[in-house]
Amino acid sequence: MAIKRFFTVIYFFIFSSFAFTQIVYEFENSLQEKRFYSLISEIRCPKCTSGSIASSDAPVSRDLKNKVYQLILEGSTDDEIKQYVSERFGTFSDYRPSLSGPNYFLWFGPFIFLAILLLIFFSKRRI
Amino acid sequence: MNQSLRFLIIIIPILILIFFTRVLLVDEDAQLATFEAKNFPTFELDDLNGRPVQSESLGGIKLINVWASWCITCLVEHPFLTKLSENNLDIIGLNYKDSDTRANAWLQKHGNPYLFSIYDPRGDLAFDLGVTGAPESYLLINNKVVGHIQGEMNQIKWENIFLPLIQKAQQR
Amino acid sequence: MIGEISHLLSLAAALLLTLVLIFNLFFSFNKSHPNQLMLSMRLFNQSCWLVFISFGMYVYLAISDDFSIAYIASHSNSQLPIFYKITSIWSAHEGSMFLWIVFLIAWSFLFLNSLNKDHPLKKLTLLMLSLIILGFLLFLLLTSNPFERILPFGAIEGADINPVLQDPALAIHPPMLYLGYVGFVISFSFITAYLINGNFELQWEQDIKNWSLVAWIFLTIGITLGSWWAYYELGWGGYWFWDPVENVALMPWLAATAFMHSLFASSKSNVLKTWTMFLGILIFALSLFGAFIVRSGIIDSVHSFANDPERGLYLLSFSGSITLLSLTIFAYRLPALNSSKLVVSGSKESFLSMNNILMITSIFSIFLGVTYPLIIESIYGEKVSIGPPYYNTIFSPLILIAAAFIMISIDALWQRSMPLRTFFITTAPPTLLSLLSIYIIWRLTGIFSILAFIGILSGLLIIFSYLFKTINNLFKKKYINKGSAVAHMGLGLLFFAVSMNSILSYEKNLNLAPGQTISVNESVQEFHFKDIRVFKASNHDVISAEVSFLHDGKEISLNPQKRKYATRGQITSESAIHASVLKDTYLTIGDQLENGSWTFSLKINYFIKWIWLSAALMTFGMLLTIFKKKAL
Repeated sequence: MAIKRFFTVIYFFIFSSFAFTQIVYEFENSLQEKRFYSLISEIRCPKCTSGSIASSDAPVSRDLKNKVYQLILEGSTDDEIKQYVSERFGTFSDYRPSLSGPNYFLWFGPFIFLAILLLIFFSKRRI
Repeated sequence: MNQSLRFLIIIIPILILIFFTRVLLVDEDAQLATFEAKNFPTFELDDLNGRPVQSESLGGIKLINVWASWCITCLVEHPFLTKLSENNLDIIGLNYKDSDTRANAWLQKHGNPYLFSIYDPRGDLAFDLGVTGAPESYLLINNKVVGHIQGEMNQIKWENIFLPLIQKAQQR
Repeated sequence: MIGEISHLLSLAAALLLTLVLIFNLFFSFNKSHPNQLMLSMRLFNQSCWLVFISFGMYVYLAISDDFSIAYIASHSNSQLPIFYKITSIWSAHEGSMFLWIVFLIAWSFLFLNSLNKDHPLKKLTLLMLSLIILGFLLFLLLTSNPFERILPFGAIEGADINPVLQDPALAIHPPMLYLGYVGFVISFSFITAYLINGNFELQWEQDIKNWSLVAWIFLTIGITLGSWWAYYELGWGGYWFWDPVENVALMPWLAATAFMHSLFASSKSNVLKTWTMFLGILIFALSLFGAFIVRSGIIDSVHSFANDPERGLYLLSFSGSITLLSLTIFAYRLPALNSSKLVVSGSKESFLSMNNILMITSIFSIFLGVTYPLIIESIYGEKVSIGPPYYNTIFSPLILIAAAFIMISIDALWQRSMPLRTFFITTAPPTLLSLLSIYIIWRLTGIFSILAFIGILSGLLIIFSYLFKTINNLFKKKYINKGSAVAHMGLGLLFFAVSMNSILSYEKNLNLAPGQTISVNESVQEFHFKDIRVFKASNHDVISAEVSFLHDGKEISLNPQKRKYATRGQITSESAIHASVLKDTYLTIGDQLENGSWTFSLKINYFIKWIWLSAALMTFGMLLTIFKKKAL
């Protein structure tokens, strides 16, 4: 009985049934495949507390993975795909913050910090 | 140089402390209020009775509620939704990844607070809306999505997040 | 009954510590009491024992299934093996806080009692430690009480811990981590005591050197265990995600590593003292910050404990006050501390200063990444996410710079600049060999990724330079610092393995019905899904897939499973892993589709074992330095 219930629960995790291909996410070339696995590791799972859709089994993550797959096959660029996802799930969904506005401080901050420390050190030369 | 360094060593931790105190004290629900309004996605779907849904029926002030017969938490929010609909709020259901037979049976059994429910068995409209699961709710004002609540709808979330948005719209 | 006694003991301990503090405070403004220190130590030791016994009783309560205690009822279960009944104590906030305090007290107890009774800093260190321990004890008793009872009847059965936590590695990961975090309270308190005391003729480094070393080792093991567990248990084949909670453990580790290096310099050559003191304070401050982040719930993380702003505020104000206290005294004494010696450029001291600068920059980068989403949300109301893309991009150039300096500094001299000749002899061979290796790797794999190649280069520079130096010294019968060589080669190996893993690893998602076979690629052939079995185990139901395939010609059989646990109904995925020297074959079963077929996720992860090896090498290298002959 528990097993039957187990299967029923499993069933509820299934929301998209693929056509019965044997390699899921089959691409035209290895570059597309690389792009796919790279993209899904940079898209955040909208439902999990943290983590990418690559590491998540949530239904919405699965839907997102399928969508990314589809968009790659349709010829969308990485930026277009990220844009597509952000329109629906917010800026929250991109683990790679864009290089714009306040984010300049994010991306360059550490190096500015390093430069400042080096300046102080080289001017003081005492320890 | 030395003076400013000493000053920094003390000031920076203090600033960090002030910042985190502020983050801690800010009302959690208020943070959710910053939502970028967007147009309701276009779609071609039927309702649970098989009739095509017209996009005009989504005008005005509408609460879109994502639900399914397999969703347990939806039962938890159901009484509150019923109460809202009885107070003249238009609620439109978005039946998410469900079978129409089971969905209709659920409504028969538990009651139907919805004007009608959009039947989205594949979750296409839900995906375009940014739905992450059921239950979830969106506030629609003049075909623009202005608010979003993840998880079940309750009095607190309604008052803190959606109600202010409705009141702001009604003032215009 | 025992629960009440245990609770009472902890309360009494807090009371005693308060007495210690008041007693000493009173006598600071009046003439010293003749036996002030001795009495204070007695009170302190007694309060330590009270807490030890209190915790011992708590362990007994857990083993004996006392489900009238709310915490034990929510986290344990009578069906659990005794080992997991004990480890369930630290599976959530209240219990783990209790453990943290026990360790805090253990470290303090051992350290203080090891100090000579005439040691000039003993009293101040005692006061500092008492203050910190008291603060945490009050936090526990007032906001996070593990002794709360379920009244009036208690639970009949416990709720069971998350099955994902029923794993030996995960069970000892928190204790190791806490021993590390908390061990640095010694350097924190001792250095603060030194600064308050004001006599800068005193030598202080030797007194805390070995204590800090041991704490560093625990911290390293703790972080590695977390990574190890994530890889073997979570099913997504990753070992580090730059999750906020991972990051707040990494920051103290970086500070601690910088501290150990700086301490070496300042004890040997009388330089970098100010740096070392600052770092010694920073480590524990970062540990406190980590505790705050994890337990206040302001940052989303898979790891977060209970979300409670009240607890967050307490921790924030307490940690903040303690840290500000130390830093203020440090800033106050700074003018008196500054040595008048100039750093000679190209000397060993200058490289160690560089190391400190780079480490602090790394800490800053992580801190920025962790707090940036909070900052943006408060100012703009927008939600941003920071993860591996950010940290990998920032750290890549940083580790290259670090690797270059590690290589150059191998033959650096104290207080003298490096002759140009030495510079070329030290750096040319490893650099050339590393660049050649990169070229070979590029040609062999056909892959090019700038970030990964920077990582590989960094790793190779370090490994080759230490290899050359060691071989050179062996031939010339010169002294070899074994600990340093082993530890640094471990670091180089880490950079190398992580980068190679990132460029070579790949994933394939498959969909087969039982009985079917498929060829995946040239490397993975005849992937045969033999059968799917369903059976019952001790506290869970199992669905087990039998799979076999040829990996590079070698026959491998794997049984990935899905388990459903009886008590909570939770479903977990147990990946099946075949590990070889170069790579791991990592198979996870997905879901069954409507047509009866199952999905599988096949990941080929390269150089995983080398990552664990690198952590072991770094730890072992550090151990070697403890047992070095008294050459200092």
